Amino acid sequence: MSGLLTPPVTRPGPAPGSGSGDLMIEVENVTKSFGSVHALDSVSVTAPRGTVLGLLGHNGAGKTTLVNILTTALPLTSGRASVAGFDLADKPVEIRRRIGLTGQFASVDGQLSGRKNIVLIARLLGAGRRAAAARADELLELFGLTDVADRRASSYSGGLRRRLDLAVSLVGAPDVLFLDEPTTGLDPTSRLNLWEIVEGLVRQGTTVLLTTQYLEEADRLADTITVLSEGRVVAAGTAAELKATVGRRTVTLTLDTGEDLVRSRAALRAAGFAAVNGEDEARTLVVPTETTREITGVIRTLDRAGVEASELTFGEPSLDDVYLALADRSAVRAPA
Amino acid sequence: MSAPGPGLPAPRVAAADRPVSGGSSLFAQIRVLTGRSLRAMVTDPGIVLFGLIQPIVILFVLTQVFSKMGMPPHFPEGVSYLDYVLPAVLVDNAAQSAMQSGVGLVEDQKNGMVARLRSLPVHPGALLAARSLVGLVRSAVQVLVIMVLAMTVLGYSPHGGMAELALSAGLTLFISFSLSWAFIAAGAWLRRAEPLQNLALIVIFPLMFASSAYVPVEDLPSWLQVVANVNPLTYAIDATRALALDMPGLDHAFPAVAICVVITVVGVVAALRGFRRPL
Repeated sequence: MSGLLTPPVTRPGPAPGSGSGDLMIEVENVTKSFGSVHALDSVSVTAPRGTVLGLLGHNGAGKTTLVNILTTALPLTSGRASVAGFDLADKPVEIRRRIGLTGQFASVDGQLSGRKNIVLIARLLGAGRRAAAARADELLELFGLTDVADRRASSYSGGLRRRLDLAVSLVGAPDVLFLDEPTTGLDPTSRLNLWEIVEGLVRQGTTVLLTTQYLEEADRLADTITVLSEGRVVAAGTAAELKATVGRRTVTLTLDTGEDLVRSRAALRAAGFAAVNGEDEARTLVVPTETTREITGVIRTLDRAGVEASELTFGEPSLDDVYLALADRSAVRAPA
Repeated sequence: MSAPGPGLPAPRVAAADRPVSGGSSLFAQIRVLTGRSLRAMVTDPGIVLFGLIQPIVILFVLTQVFSKMGMPPHFPEGVSYLDYVLPAVLVDNAAQSAMQSGVGLVEDQKNGMVARLRSLPVHPGALLAARSLVGLVRSAVQVLVIMVLAMTVLGYSPHGGMAELALSAGLTLFISFSLSWAFIAAGAWLRRAEPLQNLALIVIFPLMFASSAYVPVEDLPSWLQVVANVNPLTYAIDATRALALDMPGLDHAFPAVAICVVITVVGVVAALRGFRRPL
């Protein structure tokens, strides 16, 4: 299968523009307002060539807005940004020549077959009939779509559709690929499959901006992660750095009464644990921990405070934990 | 399912034949996008056939009901009601087909095609132009089907020569083309299909009756005559009818064409503006 594919090539010097070295995505203090609502508030991120920038955040955090801006679909309100070395404001068409976009919803023509969808985009990009057909064969094979290539895309399952969508995004061999929640709604096998494809692309030098709600996904794919919340960057770093802020494992305690909760939180904080209220604010506490000894420490502290938890669970840090920890820290910082 | 394994090279093409290196011209883009929708029309002729239902039903109803009622005083002599009404049915069909062009654009916006094209070096006008050209082809097929059906089954016998008949059909298609742009503009701004369908129903349907479509203007109630005399459809229908039936009324051809040109120009500008707005 690999024999079918042309080996990677060095492109003849793109990206002269900004003199910012080899940054393929460069966002500086970008703000986007819809009326009085700040969808993005002074956001700055960068991604060097051949890396994956993960944008982590809940719905409404501003991830898609940033993707729309960087793919030239939406004008920014203030700040500046460049993609593939070209300034967004000056050279949108140059950028469109070098990017691929897989949005949250598959952008394929359901009336056309998978093959025709790929051929259509290749032809639009200027490929001749034969080159377009060859490109379609190549991408269909790579994405395991050969068997369904001539079926209408509307008959595809969610996973197939998403793969076709990604295949279509790659028709122009983009330098920068935008993946907006590419695995939302996919089954685990399809998700894994997509991750492997993305890893392959990155090894080839493609720069990827990935938005996701899953820390696990960002953890696996992203070189650096930026956490967005309500349009602001609330944290940035590698996956390891980010997780360190919430601890490697979290202990979630469920308590019977609000009084118990207040008492245990005070005791835990006194003992040096960053205990924060969990999703069920009145009943649960989330405690980040680094080592098993710390876990015993949590239990011992509770015991000493004379509180009995009705439920105690251990978990890997999730996006929620990162969020909660960050929200808690900023709440602590705010009055200062 | 052949899952790509680790270590698999990512898809690439050599720089020399990298598809995006040159990009394609606006003309090529329009051609490719038109071809795409035409192909969809051939594989799924539902819209073309469905679009034929209304004009054919109207044709049958009108000819069956009114032909027994006796002609109004100003009805042209020596012309059957079928002959009289057919050019109007064709114009009505042209308007309905134009509405479909707008609906097609809305569908492209819904299924993500527009979002996809926006992220590519594709001119915003290419999809709009393709939609209007596809509408033109759809209209042409429908005009042809209705005319052939009317001639063979119902006995439509226009008195104009073949050249005039073709000219009449051409004018009908130009009307459809210009209205297509009006509906594409509406689709680009409204981004929903329902308002377009309502527009067709609430505006075009009554305007057809308040025109020279089914009864000579002179036979309409006087207040309707006022409406009919400023109704662009009256000019359009008078002109296509005059050509097809070799009747007076050809003086309405110039205003009809002029109105269509204005609608087209305004439609193109409005459509481009509406389409360029962020999704």
